[in-house]
Amino acid sequence: MSGDEINPAAVAQAVEDVQGDDRWMSQIWRELFSPLHALNFGIGGDTTCNVLWRLQNGELDNIRPKVTVVWVGTNNHEHSAEQVAGGILAIAQLLTSRLPKTKVVVLGLLARGDGPNPLREKNAAVNGFLRSWLPRLGQAQFLDVGAGFVHSDGTISTRDMFDFLHLTAAGYRAIAKPLSDLLLQILDETPEEKRASLV
Amino acid sequence: MALSTPRLLVRFLGGRNLLYGGAPFPSEQTPGDSKTRNEETDKVMSSGDSNPAATPTPCVDIQGDGRWMSLHNHFVSNSKDKEPDVLFVGDSLVQLLHQFEVWRELFSPLHALNFGVGGDETQHVLWRLSNGELAHISPKVVVLWVGTHNHSHTAEQICGGIMAIVQLIKDKLPKAYTLVLGVLPRGKMPNPLRERNAQVNKLVKDAVSSLPHASLLNVDPGFVHSDGSISHQDLYDFLHLTPQGYQAVCQPLHAHLKGLLEKQAEN
Repeated sequence: MSGDEINPAAVAQAVEDVQGDDRWMSQIWRELFSPLHALNFGIGGDTTCNVLWRLQNGELDNIRPKVTVVWVGTNNHEHSAEQVAGGILAIAQLLTSRLPKTKVVVLGLLARGDGPNPLREKNAAVNGFLRSWLPRLGQAQFLDVGAGFVHSDGTISTRDMFDFLHLTAAGYRAIAKPLSDLLLQILDETPEEKRASLV
Repeated sequence: MALSTPRLLVRFLGGRNLLYGGAPFPSEQTPGDSKTRNEETDKVMSSGDSNPAATPTPCVDIQGDGRWMSLHNHFVSNSKDKEPDVLFVGDSLVQLLHQFEVWRELFSPLHALNFGVGGDETQHVLWRLSNGELAHISPKVVVLWVGTHNHSHTAEQICGGIMAIVQLIKDKLPKAYTLVLGVLPRGKMPNPLRERNAQVNKLVKDAVSSLPHASLLNVDPGFVHSDGSISHQDLYDFLHLTPQGYQAVCQPLHAHLKGLLEKQAEN
């Protein structure tokens, strides 16, 4: 991405309440990894722009997580793979500047759809950009949790993704293991004196 | 194939047959006839008095991975070797139910199949049921839960869409009973969609009251508190149910279903 162009995927944008019931503006959270004392600020349908907006508008004000897990990009339908990767990078940069002591784990975008399709290629391209860009941010790393979802015949099973996009319980179990292993490793590496200063 | 409009429904609505769908149900629809969820509906309507919420319409793939049609095809082929007594059909509230433990506890034992698709509006469910999803099965009860996503339609149109589905099920499965579930309130605080959904429920309840093969069941256990708020502990995004929310909805639903199945067995 040339420095002079604005990447629309990195422009913070709130979701307009077009449906009329304000539900997006109210906060969503569910605990995935409660023993690690985790908070979940995921919102269905969010793009990189929406996540950026939320992080810039209050969601980081009162917390000092040791690790932030970022998983976004599959819904950026208006943007190219490069723009999407740029948006994710912008999120990682925002996190490291607002929370200098946090480690950032960016999860790779999963394959989607019943069979091979352009969105799988796009998501794979996003992951490719992230693999090369993220190491330049010292505190950020990339984790690919998508291995095994696409079978040898190119299909994805509804046992893993019930609508060929969202994970079933079985699908989540498959990704939770490598993720929690990495989180435990990172938390283990966090020095004691830093922990005492965290809220 | 002509669509017969129940005269009772037309009289109740003041003679407006426009709410029951003006188009016949084709067994196939070419992609050129279909529309996206986001387009204006008038493009497809040839006559001025048809109800878009009651006109079978597939979802055109606007994202790029064709998942809606993949799911539909999966449902059609998946039904070929199943003999469900109960079919659940509708939108995300039906689809997500299948992902929670409550499905295995309460509905698998009733031999239930789940044809829910997130985001579906009445016209999408109508298309799916018209195009193969009922072709290989004869459930005794169809549980229908749809309407909350019909954002460009009025309460009257949504009711018309639901009633069109009820009629289609009657045509394809003459012995089946259709249990329509009331659309739930949504949003953290009072808002126009809650009013619209309540109005849909009222209209549907009146419309099915004279039908022997269908009824409306209110499954809202009281999600709206006295201050008008809904808790994210019941609806985690003020639209979709948490496990706790599903338990509150499904326990009475399950009891009601068992009663219906027993009555069907007696007849």
